[in-house]
Amino acid sequence: MLRESSKLERIPVDLEAVTSGLVTHGDLNIEGALVDFAQAALGDNIEKIAIARANVVTQLGEDAMIDAAAVIANFQRMVRIADGTGIPLDLPVAMITAGMRSRLGIDEFSSAANTPETGFFKRLIGAILTPFLPVLFKEMSKRK
Amino acid sequence: MEIGTYFDYSDYQYKVRTDLPDAYRLVWQKISQPGNWWRGDQRVAIANEVRAARHCRLCSKRKTALSPFAITGTHESVSDLPDNVIDVVHRLCTDASRLTRKWLDESSLSKELYVELLGIVVAVISIDGFHRALGFPLENLPVPQPGEPDGYRPPGAMDGHAWVPIVTPASIGEREADLYDGSKQTGNVVSAMSLVPDSVRLLKLLSGVQYLSMHDVPNPATNGGRAISRAHIELLAGRVSALSECFY
Repeated sequence: MLRESSKLERIPVDLEAVTSGLVTHGDLNIEGALVDFAQAALGDNIEKIAIARANVVTQLGEDAMIDAAAVIANFQRMVRIADGTGIPLDLPVAMITAGMRSRLGIDEFSSAANTPETGFFKRLIGAILTPFLPVLFKEMSKRK
Repeated sequence: MEIGTYFDYSDYQYKVRTDLPDAYRLVWQKISQPGNWWRGDQRVAIANEVRAARHCRLCSKRKTALSPFAITGTHESVSDLPDNVIDVVHRLCTDASRLTRKWLDESSLSKELYVELLGIVVAVISIDGFHRALGFPLENLPVPQPGEPDGYRPPGAMDGHAWVPIVTPASIGEREADLYDGSKQTGNVVSAMSLVPDSVRLLKLLSGVQYLSMHDVPNPATNGGRAISRAHIELLAGRVSALSECFY
């Protein structure tokens, strides 16, 4: 979703920042502030959270900071549902993200064991479909 | 304390859109009431353990151990819930990415009790997480309501690809018709807690205000009217998932 929304919105987001926490391209100030906020909010250091929060307000405004806080809160829930029930990655997502998961090191997480390995043909189909995803998603958005 | 008085953000530093506290109040109300498998007092006790887990020294030791199952001890708990229940709550809170099907099967909890407990744990974690991110004090937990659980198990729940039985869009019954909004397909994470349908309803409620509505989720071209772009929403989602070592 990050990759596709980044293309559709023409916001060049650094995918590597998801796993590394370091924003090296894209809008360093905005994305750096968001990544720092996510990292701080998952910890216990109140001062760090306050600094990160203030930085997001400076970069994007208060409403955006509140929406960011809500998203961070939301995914603290979703990860535990996934990990607590042992669900596998949905097959279409597994197919189109196989290469990226491997590159970003996501396949190394313990909970990857809940998803069967994506075989060669599924990876191939995923790779063939990937360039067309923005078109498919644009069509989906028109149906709204 | 009346449910309507919880989550009053009017005196706080930031102006929070009203759909968030409205949803949180509904969640608090549901937690206080008997569910399908737990009484109201037990459900509130589970919520209380979520908060205790954050400061539990046994959980901290386990988190840094090579295997979380190698460290034994007693949790720093705040309820009279049975030890196995406290252990499940604390592990879900502090080290969920290293849980296994074997661990769940050996937990002595029925799958129904487990899924309802999970639904409470994740709801409280996300609401408390929102407060922490904004620097707001945690809300008082709701007062438990009397009554007994009704023992309802959706007839369409069946074993499949998860550790717990799931209601799929194909096996859905009349009482659960609202769960997937009539869709013939749904994400595994949405159906994961469908053994206890209200857990899915709470998930949809909270996701709808904290992230995006179920309708908007599959469409990366929309940000659901939020003040940040969809790409930035997904950057945050991805970073939280990676920090939590969640593959999904």
